Amino acid sequence: MWTISKLTFKEIISKRIFLITIIMTLVFLALYGTAIYFAGKEGTQVGPNGVQGTETILVQQFISSQLLGVGLYFSSFITALLAILSSVSAISGEVSSHQIDTWLMRPISRAQFVWGKFVGLALIMIAYAVVLFFSIILLHQGIGKEWMELDIQPMQMIKAVSVFVIQPFVLIAFGLLLSTRMTTLNAGIVSIVLYGAAFIGGFIEQFGALIEKAALVNIGVITSLIFPIDSMYRKMTMILFDSIDNPLSLAQGGMFTSVSNPSNVMVWYAVVYGIVVVFLSIYSFKKRDV
Amino acid sequence: MNVIQTNSLTKTYNGKGGISDVTLSVGEGIVYGFLGPNGSGKSTFVRTLLGLLQPTSGEGYILGEPIGTTKSREKVGYLPELFRYPDWLTGKQLLEAHAELCKIPVRQRKKRIEEVVELVGMTGREKGRISGFSKGMSQRIGLACAILNDPKVVFLDEPTSALDPIGRKDVRDLMLYLRDQGKTVFLNSHLLYEVESVCDHVSIVHQGDMIVQGPWRELMMIEAQIEIVTDQPISVPMPTFVTHVEKIKEEEARTRWGIQLENEDDIPKIIQYLSSNGIALYEVKPITPHLEDVFMHWVNQKKESAYVDH
Ligand SMILES: Nc1ncnc2c1ncn2[C@@H]1O[C@H](COP(=O)(O)OP(=O)(O)OP(=O)(O)O)[C@@H](O)[C@H]1O
Ligand SMILES: [Mg+2]
Repeated sequence: MWTISKLTFKEIISKRIFLITIIMTLVFLALYGTAIYFAGKEGTQVGPNGVQGTETILVQQFISSQLLGVGLYFSSFITALLAILSSVSAISGEVSSHQIDTWLMRPISRAQFVWGKFVGLALIMIAYAVVLFFSIILLHQGIGKEWMELDIQPMQMIKAVSVFVIQPFVLIAFGLLLSTRMTTLNAGIVSIVLYGAAFIGGFIEQFGALIEKAALVNIGVITSLIFPIDSMYRKMTMILFDSIDNPLSLAQGGMFTSVSNPSNVMVWYAVVYGIVVVFLSIYSFKKRDV
Repeated sequence: MNVIQTNSLTKTYNGKGGISDVTLSVGEGIVYGFLGPNGSGKSTFVRTLLGLLQPTSGEGYILGEPIGTTKSREKVGYLPELFRYPDWLTGKQLLEAHAELCKIPVRQRKKRIEEVVELVGMTGREKGRISGFSKGMSQRIGLACAILNDPKVVFLDEPTSALDPIGRKDVRDLMLYLRDQGKTVFLNSHLLYEVESVCDHVSIVHQGDMIVQGPWRELMMIEAQIEIVTDQPISVPMPTFVTHVEKIKEEEARTRWGIQLENEDDIPKIIQYLSSNGIALYEVKPITPHLEDVFMHWVNQKKESAYVDH
């Protein structure tokens, strides 16, 4: 199994697309840093005559948390896309090129092959997600002027990043499942559409929570159950912006943070979901002709 | 124990194509030819044995282990027909990965890889990336991969499809070398001469059916055929063991004839007969039947027997 994981890992790293991804990520981080820098400079003037009233502080904190939210949201988006793109071809690509024949004729089981692929992909994507997460946090807290810095405890960060990586984890498992049965292109389309649906579901849920409509919230909950992606992002922002000092949680409101708070059960649900999906992939691949 | 054993093994694709009802046993230390035209089901059969395809019905064993299990693939090597290897690896890295999958002890890996690279004539070139390999080089590295784990049985699916004449000879020598080491080689081919020069035992398949199996010489001796060159028309009546005579070519004073005989033993008889009747022979050469002829012979035979059965 580890051999397959190592090969998967090496394959991604050796491809040109990996280099491009790294460069584009650096570009993204540079842009984000620049935006934060200027926002930090300008932002101090918010409020009447620069007077630092309670209201001003609240507004600043709101803006600051939204800026961090934007950075994390796009990080989560990039990670999701990469997770989808790398996993949907993992098996179908090798089947259609017949490369898989020479691996599968070795004394390894189909289950070992699927696990190997999953572990290889998950490790690399989770590593990527963690680096991206901390880069954004560091840029935000470091470059933004004093007023930008949010009160985030190390423990909060660790919790948040653990939830942050659940999304690529689930997406890889899901992409792999589709990849055992569908062509790369079809699997990619299905994954992306579902990802979009989860996003819309999450949006409806937020909106529902805001205007207190249970039906809308339920739609969101159901999408989260079918595809627990967006809820993980929102849970992550909840953990991150749940400031103990601040009675009015920063996460309240805004497009990129969260109104409704997904429960801890939801987090465990997503993890179990991912694992179950890997087992489904194995089952689906076991009897398949290659 | 038979190295390969199948009982009515069948693999069809949604009821169509594939190969049906193959019962065969292959012993140790031989080169076994699996011969058939395009689309006859040769690759399907091998891929089923290796667990890449799920059999539709029947059963098969490799070294006594049921096919589809990981154990059945422990002492097996395989060169696929569509040999595609990850092109971002170097030849050596590919072999290292396979050595790992075959659980070759770390200390022996380096040595074994050097050995097989040498055997397939790739020494010095194995460090290049596979993306930069020519088709022939890829096939050679694939062969190295197939024999890497010192397998007891090697499946080669058209192993010379990308090779030049020297490469073909190398592969033939490799197969004989493996056989002499007591290994079994299962060779898929549609090339008569390839099978002819190395195979001890042959099966002939046609449109998904196993037509016949047996020692190569016996199968090929469906009839004996010779070409002779004389300086005059053959005026004497032909003996009864001659089944067919035809004039192939007339060139100035010489005439070339094709003669079909009942079997090989008739060759000296006909030569003697013609000479004693005063016909001067300028050339006599045996003609190996064309693969198509051998096929058609056995295919017809099979049809006839089917007809008799009913
Ligand atoms: N994946 C598939 N789906 C449907 N039919 C298939 C598939 N693969 C092979 N077949 C059919 O099964 C039959 C046997 O194919 P196979 O590839 O085993 O032949 P082959 O003897 O190896 O031919 P070749 O000499 O061209 O390699 C053919 O009629 C082919 O059309
Ligand atoms: Mg074939």
